[in-house]
Amino acid sequence: MKSRTSTIKGGKESADAKKETEIKIEPITRLEGHGEIRIKLNKGKISDVQFNVTSARFFEKFLEGRLAEDARIITPRICGICPEPHHLASVKAVEDAWVVNPPLAARKLRELLLLGKQISSHALHLYVLAAPDFLLGPFAPPEARNIVTIVNKIPDAAKKAIELMKHGQELCATVGGKAIHPVTAIPGGMTKPLKEEQRDEWLKRMDRAMELTEFTYQLLLKIMQDYWDVITKVGVIETYYTGLTNNGEHNFYDGSIRVMSPSGRIEAEVPAQRYTEVVAEKVVPHCYATHIFYRKAGYPDGIWRGGPLARINVVEKMVTPRANEALKEFRAKVGRPCHATFAYHWARSIELLDAVGKAKKLLEDPDIVSQDYKLEKVEPREGCGVGVVEAPRGLLVHNYWTDKVGIITKANLIVATNHNIGAIEKSLNIIARQVIEDKIHEKLKLPKPMISA
Amino acid sequence: MKDSKEKNAGFEPYVLGLVCNWCTYAGADMAGTSRIQYPPNLRLVRVMCTSRLDPTFVIRGLELGADGVLVSGCHPGDCHYVNGNYKTERRMYLLRELIQQAGLEPERIRLEWISASEGSKLAEVMKDYVNVLKKIGPNPLRNSREKHHVDEKDLFGKELK
Amino acid sequence: MAGKAKAAFVQLSSCWGCHQSLLDLHEKLLDVIPLLDIKYWVAAVDFKVDDLKKLPNGGLDAGFVEGLCRTEEDVHLLKLTREKARALIAFGSCSSFGGVPSIANLFLKNELLERKYLKAETVVDKNTVPSENLPQITNFVPRNDQMVKVDVYLLGCPPTSQEIANAVLALFSGKPIEHSIKTICDECERKKEEKNVKEFRRDFEGKPDPEKCLINQGYLCMGAGTRAGCGAQCPNANHPCKGCSGPPEGVADQAAKLIGTFGGIADMEPKKLLEVFRDPAGQLYSFTYASSPLSKLRSANKDEK
Repeated sequence: MKSRTSTIKGGKESADAKKETEIKIEPITRLEGHGEIRIKLNKGKISDVQFNVTSARFFEKFLEGRLAEDARIITPRICGICPEPHHLASVKAVEDAWVVNPPLAARKLRELLLLGKQISSHALHLYVLAAPDFLLGPFAPPEARNIVTIVNKIPDAAKKAIELMKHGQELCATVGGKAIHPVTAIPGGMTKPLKEEQRDEWLKRMDRAMELTEFTYQLLLKIMQDYWDVITKVGVIETYYTGLTNNGEHNFYDGSIRVMSPSGRIEAEVPAQRYTEVVAEKVVPHCYATHIFYRKAGYPDGIWRGGPLARINVVEKMVTPRANEALKEFRAKVGRPCHATFAYHWARSIELLDAVGKAKKLLEDPDIVSQDYKLEKVEPREGCGVGVVEAPRGLLVHNYWTDKVGIITKANLIVATNHNIGAIEKSLNIIARQVIEDKIHEKLKLPKPMISA
Repeated sequence: MKDSKEKNAGFEPYVLGLVCNWCTYAGADMAGTSRIQYPPNLRLVRVMCTSRLDPTFVIRGLELGADGVLVSGCHPGDCHYVNGNYKTERRMYLLRELIQQAGLEPERIRLEWISASEGSKLAEVMKDYVNVLKKIGPNPLRNSREKHHVDEKDLFGKELK
Repeated sequence: MAGKAKAAFVQLSSCWGCHQSLLDLHEKLLDVIPLLDIKYWVAAVDFKVDDLKKLPNGGLDAGFVEGLCRTEEDVHLLKLTREKARALIAFGSCSSFGGVPSIANLFLKNELLERKYLKAETVVDKNTVPSENLPQITNFVPRNDQMVKVDVYLLGCPPTSQEIANAVLALFSGKPIEHSIKTICDECERKKEEKNVKEFRRDFEGKPDPEKCLINQGYLCMGAGTRAGCGAQCPNANHPCKGCSGPPEGVADQAAKLIGTFGGIADMEPKKLLEVFRDPAGQLYSFTYASSPLSKLRSANKDEK
């Protein structure tokens, strides 16, 4: 949990009754979204912890009546950090509903677009959202733990971080038209091909991106090593896990939805169209975001997680040799499945290695510059379609029903971070107890911070 | 709004007429000189051709409180500027779809072709239109222009603490 | 202006895209950030709402506000920022016009809640609407400038990184921020021919020619009714403009203006034109529905019934 120390120092206490107090963290920071945390204490003991997601914009409803092809323009506005997954899941859902098979080159371009986003988002998450806590340490003043401090104190690392994010974002812009809210994926294919000059330039850039990714991976390994006590003792929760696999192999763009139990058993594997067999939502009175869980295990036992750690758990292997090497290292150290929440960052950096390697492979594929990037004829029809991709933070499901002229009559969306809301609350419960009751922060083996505030 | 006849009792619709110089305006003039009677609810605005009408004017008219907007020009084929009325027709059809989608009765935009010699047609149209508008009631957008500001009562139904 | 400009970056209900655009300055960020003394930026720094409340009124030179008012908390935060900032900057199209989520104004608040919490296929139980320790949802999405005075509008969804940098530089130097008075057509380099379109098509039909004007090819490009500033990014990606930077100079209602345009250049029977406009509000007010006088109709009608 990012700001756990600030629960003590920065949270607001309000005395209710004589014995009851509440610590309110308002708002949660360094992420995309809106939320608060309420920790209720009774005579110094945690009685309840609530994770309140405080906003919803109801895309599911206002998609009704929209042209199906406009959904891929509308839904990226759910998230400005990861609009590409929404854009792609939306197109896939429409193509599924209309039984449209885009050309192979289009699918490869879409995968390349998604990889660009995984690269920039994972780099952003690691350096801007997560790293400050580790580089400055949990006892540094919370307001100092941010990217600006990193820029000032270790400019070399900051410049590398910015450069890596830039490669990812600019790859998205090249393939998607714009990095933020792309437009090129459309029912039937893409609106434009990748030019040979662009491909040649990007091949060169991918080598540099790989250098930067290796640097990031090594930095992450050091952080994991330094904070090993934290990783193995704080916020370790047993949950189910879910992710896409393509015949057991890690895949962001396509595959079947796999579910793993806390003990590591593969419980289910279903094609995207049958997602309702495994995905279920619990509406929780104190949260505008629902808690998602594995349907067959019920709530709350079936609470699961998505995103890097979950994906690393459920897949048999990654795609590139370098990432598989890293995965072996990971599993040797933490096992499979790994339940340590802080190991998400390690898993994230393994995915980053794989993403850069896969992007390079796609750029080397002659299909990527093919002129056969779009079907001429695409006909709307009445149907129900599901499009699933992996967003940086979890599985993304778009499910649309369209009428015979291609207007959306109904929509269901399962958004990436949603998969983790129940687990976040569960881990907050545990961490609150560990910090406030057990004072674990006084007993952990911590490194000397790499940066002083 | 649609069910309370008591609310609508005594309601006199305000009809904004956006009409072309060569046909409908002349027709209205003819109705006057011929002493043809029709409801006094019409307020005319003369433009040289209905195609001069930016659809914004129609929206603005509704926003300012007109209960109905009557757009009227020359018959298709007779436009003084050849094809202006075809443009108007397409625009008004689209505009009606838009307001209907937003929740406003499409009857509040009415498109007619009334020539210079059809003063009596104008009278018949107005008699009918006033009846239609009396049935559907006052424009819910009335008074919205005065109140450009939005406050908490609008957003939550009550003041926030 | 001596010293740094005191700024806050505030998020109402939003997608973070405008903040991402700021970050997409990449290495130029290292030139821009030092100009600012950032007092509130929860996207990247661990500030709390209390930090914003404690600032003196007018203590900020600028408050950048991303997003729209969908909840009680958004309204409070918008008003709080207005108090604390000498200049309030509407950061992006959501903040300036209501943005994409203001399309929700086509529905009643109850319909929105019902679909998400009581009817969705994956929701079990189907009997709860969240309301504990949560800010109320607004009856409709207003334009932010209908609630507080806005001093500057940064347009686009998102505004380009360069436009954001220009705004920060202007803020720092005290110069005004200027918007283009032209439309996207002016920035678009395609070959334009006389517009007499016999047949329109939907965005997914055919394979657009990258050289010719998209409207000439029958696509519904909103560029003619959209303010320039983004460099015609979408037409450059071989995709019609969707109108994200809002209406051009002097135009209050983007949809009405675009109806004027398409009605004027279409050479076909009205019913045929309607076939490509099955969702006029969604297609023509994609980013600006909260700006329309029609936008409050649904929630207003509810009170009357």
